[in-house]
Amino acid sequence: MDRRFDAPPKLPTLYAAALARQARNALRRPAPADLLPTERHRVDNITATQEKLDAFQRLMGRPQAEFLPSGYLHTLAFPVAVSVLARPDFPLPLLGMIHLSNEIHHLRPISLSERLSVTAWVENLLPHRSGTQVDVLVDIETDSESVWRGRSTYLAKGVKANGPVGTALPSAGDRQPEQLPEYHTRQWALASDIGRRYASVSGDYNPIHLSGISARASGMKRPIAHGMYLASRMAAEMGPGDATPFRWTVEFRAPVTLPSRVFLSAGMDRSVTAQWQGAEVTAWDPRRRRKHFSGRMERLGDSAGEE
Amino acid sequence: MSTLPDQQNAAPQSSSGQRGARSAVVIGGNRIPFARSGGPYAQASNQEMLTAALDGLVARFGLQGERVGEVAAGAVLKHSRDFNLTREAVLGSALAADTPAYDVQQACATGLETVIGLSNKIKLGQIESGIAGGVDSASDAPVAVSEGLRRVLLELARARSTPQKLAALRKLRPVDLKPNAPTTAEPRTGLSMGEHQAITTSRWNISRRAQDELALASHANMAAAYDRGFFDDLVTPFRGVSRDGNLRADTSLEKLGSLKPVFGRNLTGEATMTAGNSTPLTDGAAAVLLGSEDYARKHNLPMLANVVDAEAAAVDFVHGKEGLLMAPVYAMPRLLQRNDMTFEDFDFFEIHEAFASTVLSSLAAWEDEDFCRTQLGLSGALGTVDRTKLNVNGSSLAAGHPFAATGARIVASLAKSLAEKGSGRGLISVCAAGGQGVVAILEARRP
Repeated sequence: MDRRFDAPPKLPTLYAAALARQARNALRRPAPADLLPTERHRVDNITATQEKLDAFQRLMGRPQAEFLPSGYLHTLAFPVAVSVLARPDFPLPLLGMIHLSNEIHHLRPISLSERLSVTAWVENLLPHRSGTQVDVLVDIETDSESVWRGRSTYLAKGVKANGPVGTALPSAGDRQPEQLPEYHTRQWALASDIGRRYASVSGDYNPIHLSGISARASGMKRPIAHGMYLASRMAAEMGPGDATPFRWTVEFRAPVTLPSRVFLSAGMDRSVTAQWQGAEVTAWDPRRRRKHFSGRMERLGDSAGEE
Repeated sequence: MSTLPDQQNAAPQSSSGQRGARSAVVIGGNRIPFARSGGPYAQASNQEMLTAALDGLVARFGLQGERVGEVAAGAVLKHSRDFNLTREAVLGSALAADTPAYDVQQACATGLETVIGLSNKIKLGQIESGIAGGVDSASDAPVAVSEGLRRVLLELARARSTPQKLAALRKLRPVDLKPNAPTTAEPRTGLSMGEHQAITTSRWNISRRAQDELALASHANMAAAYDRGFFDDLVTPFRGVSRDGNLRADTSLEKLGSLKPVFGRNLTGEATMTAGNSTPLTDGAAAVLLGSEDYARKHNLPMLANVVDAEAAAVDFVHGKEGLLMAPVYAMPRLLQRNDMTFEDFDFFEIHEAFASTVLSSLAAWEDEDFCRTQLGLSGALGTVDRTKLNVNGSSLAAGHPFAATGARIVASLAKSLAEKGSGRGLISVCAAGGQGVVAILEARRP
């Protein structure tokens, strides 16, 4: 069941509506979340623009791209995904949801001029040790061919779900102590404006990313980097760097507060001359020795990108 | 006047580096004393310092008004206006105005690479003489406008109407007014050279004590070399400075041991790299006069040493496969193999001291059987460098390290050491940013 929109929804409008609804709901006792909307949201005829693509590549510190980078495609699809989360019948509060993980299948190179259809829907409402988690799925198609598929898992903290019995995740006490690599292979010096800069290319003006004041208003001590900025930069710097189809996953841990210095270690399955095969990435806070995220990228079989 | 190489004076070896080609000889060198950045040369530009180094060389070898075959030099920290830095320095020097010149940039290997390039031209008979060199100023470094301001300014220049101009100006953000100063961070990893080396230092378990001892030896050796007048015909005073400003003749293990670590503090192990066992940011310039044997004889100039052969290497430091400054370790066996030589064949080792631990990591790698087998593809350890032959007149820890100038400093000093000894060979190893490294062989002239 698809609901079609003529144009991508505007994120600020969605956030404002969600904020208003959350403010109203705050006065009531929250109802337990149990049912997800089944309707999919679909927008056709989305195209990238050269200007926005260039701005994205500048932010990633990469040269101009012939094909749309995987992280950039996420920004094209993101408003459609948020429109599902902003529905009145979506049971979790949109603002304040925490990005837990992301999995993307980038199946074939997509050029700037291609017309894209984006479909987004939600699945897997599950209890989490500290709230309720949900999967947001996105499918990008060109000519009815699926070319990019994403699954983002979000957590609504403190919200109880009436999920199926037996799906509860391990409690916090069961967590393994964090294993960090012995050495880093690169570092990112993230300035305090990196949240604003990613917001300007992605449209994701969630206040927790923008400034100290806006973050405090949302209950954070300091602004934090967008998870998808970190993930996109990982894919841009350590991904295939060309048209190779690949699958990439990110599991987010401690948020990156801004400004910040992040150490990264990238185990790369590539000799100097051979083709890119994949990479395992760990990012951490060198001072507190806390993991920010771990990422995994792998080449998809050559047939994956062919008709 | 004969154009045939003098067989008696030709290099007494059969290496492929020179097979079938004539000899390229080091005639002499000149540099200005090196100075810590922000010090006595704070107001001197790269062009001014390079011109001073060239003019000192010109004066020493009587080249006033002469056309030299070619001058090659470079700078690592370079202003965009200095696109023709070397040619501009030549035009400002006492050399003939019809002396051609070109710029080279290979980070810290720039100076050595200019020597290799011009030597090869001499060996091929394309030029009879050449001046190789380099210069760097960390004081007079370029400061660029931010990327944001740069884009606005460019758009403003393209704008034709007032509304277009206003539209461009509206894109300016306060943060864009902050200028960009140059850094020594690697573009692809965001890590400074010292932070990169700290990882290598930790991997090879190089102790603080060993690093401080190497730094102490560098200062002691260079101070002794100054005392015995070794640098009298290698250095020309500049702006009231007559000795390398970084040289600490009176330093001691206690003093070096009291310094706080500056690199590797975020690693899990002990941080061992200090300002004492790392090179400081330095200003300076150096040049080397090269020529064919014919040229030297015709001009009645000395011949200190032959430039025998050289090899460059690069490593994949971006993905952490190897340390940023370890490329010379890989170049060395290739160079030795091609020339059918081992460490035993050398009387002098000039290993550029970017950091004390860079030298020690290289030495440790060449001694490590497992590393040499798996990483260098050798049947066993490459060998041990006799520490009594290492950097005998001091190196970058004592002299300082104006990036592009270091190669010419080393070549001139080594050539003079070989000429003094009258026999033997010297090996040069220089690491460079970008995971690169260059190694080279010089050989004494037969008396």
